[in-house]
Amino acid sequence: MEVDILELSDRSAKFVLSKVSTSFANGIRRAMIADVPTLAIEYVNLYDNTSVLYDEQLALRLSLIPIVTDAETYVPQAECDVCGGEGCPACEVSLTLSAEGPGTVYSRDLISSDPKIQPADPTIPIVELKKGQKLVLEAVAHMGYGRDSVKWQAGVACGYKNVPVINIQNCDACGHCAAECPKGIIRFEESGAKVSEEDILKCSLCRLCEQVCDIHAIKVDFDENAFVFTMESDGSYTARDLAINAANVIKGKAEEILSILDQF
Amino acid sequence: MIPVRCFSCGKVISNYWDEYKRRVGDGEDAAAVLDDLGITRYCCRRMILSHVELVDVLSPYQ
Ligand code: SF4
Ligand code: SF4
Ligand SMILES: [Zn+2]
Ligand SMILES: [Zn+2]
Repeated sequence: MEVDILELSDRSAKFVLSKVSTSFANGIRRAMIADVPTLAIEYVNLYDNTSVLYDEQLALRLSLIPIVTDAETYVPQAECDVCGGEGCPACEVSLTLSAEGPGTVYSRDLISSDPKIQPADPTIPIVELKKGQKLVLEAVAHMGYGRDSVKWQAGVACGYKNVPVINIQNCDACGHCAAECPKGIIRFEESGAKVSEEDILKCSLCRLCEQVCDIHAIKVDFDENAFVFTMESDGSYTARDLAINAANVIKGKAEEILSILDQF
Repeated sequence: MIPVRCFSCGKVISNYWDEYKRRVGDGEDAAAVLDDLGITRYCCRRMILSHVELVDVLSPYQ
């Protein structure tokens, strides 16, 4: 397995993953979306709500706020040994909010009982309060899995495509393919059509260039064991940590299978 | 209120609403503002472009 990083920032990443099978690449993608646990608000005790939103709508908005997650301190609630899934300081964290209008309530107004655990974005509007409207609540966040609800989904827009391979042979330099390519990556030289090394990753494998070439000089193919991966994190983890956690999840599952097989 | 996340991809987009509203109100081009804010996918762009703020309409009827 080889990883070649193209872009890496706090919230997003783009890399080429090569010498792996399609199922492994898809396993990583699915683990990033569904199997890396994060913290999200699961229930809300409302003490006062005179805002324009119903209690349920308010709870929905709160639950979708990504929360910076510390996977070392917290465990998924369903797997918590301390409380057996009832809720305890090892698997949940409480955030309180109290506000009075006029003004907009933002995610930064949530006061967490654990200073390390904070909303990932401070400026998510929760509700706009008019004069005299009040909001007092306590929200409890759990660790959970993306497969159970989107609010626990750490990976956003995770996807991959095979690395394109373009072969040009016996080209008569007519220029049709360069005009047709929607990505504009086919350059035109005297000797014929060319695609540069770095541009080839932009190819969407649409094969329009193949269709317009009358003499079948251009062939678009892809490498079955190399993938261009794009991923984004919702902020619960950095993009780097999310990818590492996803790989660890797969490793953990493989070890689990081995230990089950050992019992037979 | 603007939905917290994009319905399709799940990216948080509500935190850009205030800035978008202010800058478009000041006369900037909506597409340029969205590009500048880093909202690249069209699923996320439509969330902001098609949003209608109803709080002021509803608030008198409590
Ligand atoms: S397959 Fe499509 S994107 Fe790729 S080079 Fe051909 S026309 Fe361009
Ligand atoms: S369409 Fe075919 S012959 Fe014409 S430039 Fe492209 S590859 Fe060469
Ligand atoms: Zn517990
Ligand atoms: Zn989107």
